[in-house]
Amino acid sequence: MLRKRLITVLTFNDGVLFRTKLFTPDYRYTLNFVDAWSVDEIVVLDVTRNPTDGRESFRRVIENFASRCFVPVAAGGGIRDLDDVRAYLDLGADKVVINSGAIERPDFVAEVAGRFGSQCAVLSIDAKKTGDESYEVYSHFGARPTGMRPRDWARQAEDLGAGEILITSIDRDGSLQGYDLPLCSDVSAAVRIPVLVCGGAGNWNHFVEGFAEGGASGVCATNIYHFTESSIQSAKRHLAGNGIPVRM
Amino acid sequence: MTIGIIDYGISNVSSVVAAVARAGGVPVVSADAADLAAADHLILPGVGAFGDGMKNLVERGLKEPLDRMVRDEGKPILGICLGAQLMCGDSEESPGGAGFGWMPASVRRLRPDDPALRVPHVGWDEFELVKESPLLDGIPGDALFYYVHSYAIHSGDPDIEIAVCTYGESFAAVLRKDNMFATQFHPEKSQLHGLKVIENFIGLC
Repeated sequence: MLRKRLITVLTFNDGVLFRTKLFTPDYRYTLNFVDAWSVDEIVVLDVTRNPTDGRESFRRVIENFASRCFVPVAAGGGIRDLDDVRAYLDLGADKVVINSGAIERPDFVAEVAGRFGSQCAVLSIDAKKTGDESYEVYSHFGARPTGMRPRDWARQAEDLGAGEILITSIDRDGSLQGYDLPLCSDVSAAVRIPVLVCGGAGNWNHFVEGFAEGGASGVCATNIYHFTESSIQSAKRHLAGNGIPVRM
Repeated sequence: MTIGIIDYGISNVSSVVAAVARAGGVPVVSADAADLAAADHLILPGVGAFGDGMKNLVERGLKEPLDRMVRDEGKPILGICLGAQLMCGDSEESPGGAGFGWMPASVRRLRPDDPALRVPHVGWDEFELVKESPLLDGIPGDALFYYVHSYAIHSGDPDIEIAVCTYGESFAAVLRKDNMFATQFHPEKSQLHGLKVIENFIGLC
């Protein structure tokens, strides 16, 4: 049986590991945890606002993870064309995470999938709650409204060849209050490709909810771990105890 | 032991290089037939599309030399994911396009009936052992490996089937025919058990 995935998302600014939301550097996190054998998958995102800064150090981050962790690595941040994709893959990334670049030019998703395969193209969607049951997709780190509904954009991306959707609630990101479950289940019901949920996990039970109520194939956490072997294993023990099949 | 990693421009090879080095082999990445001929064993890695993969191998002048090394000279080879699929006769992903045809098997799109089973099949899954193989020496029965694929291999010959995985339907997870080995999963992305598979492949005589 395919196991549900527990995915670690790490954001980097100028090559320094950052927590989301507060964007304050936290040096407790180190690269050492990559040897922890219970990590299922790693997503590294470059959130450097000025694209000329920190690119070189982020490149080293990708190389480091790819050569040392022996699990899939997805890399994203500032990807606009196939050369950007190629550059990340050459550093050892297995997948790329595309967000604003796909919103600016949806056919870009088809180009990536056509050239490197659907499994390589992860579409990241940042969404904000705009009403009782309505959501809107935002681009450029949550700065620009797009007028699109997350479920529609996810379905369009699936048609264009995306292999996975990473759905992040801007409202919940960094809140530790739990995922936006209606948002996640709305998106996961709209597509047949795997959906990964991000933004808001604050305790192990939020992971259970992401799977059981959000319909996610993978749950992401950014600042919940201290990245030690025991914290990921402890999260997985909790999931297994709640009937979620995970890799221990 | 030098392991020639076939570089045909379809995917990153750095994880395979890192895994081979960690497992005790000496990786040599090359698109040059002479380099590959000089290696003790070969790995055909790859993710991406079947048609593009074969086209790139042909364009780089590697199809005939690899045919010779693998089929005629019996050099051990491990195909991974798309690399495994390219060892088969044909794929639904690329109608009319032929693979190497080393394995009597064909490649079809995953079509699980259960809507809860999403495609691509992405993540950690186990396999069911059909028969013993030195490639899987020391791998426990409940070991999990990382898969990421929308197409899967269906063997036309039960003799070559080493292990099967089930995702709505059964497909070949591990195949072996003589000197040719293939895994649908990514051993280079499957941590300890994956490294053990690569170590076993390096250690084959």
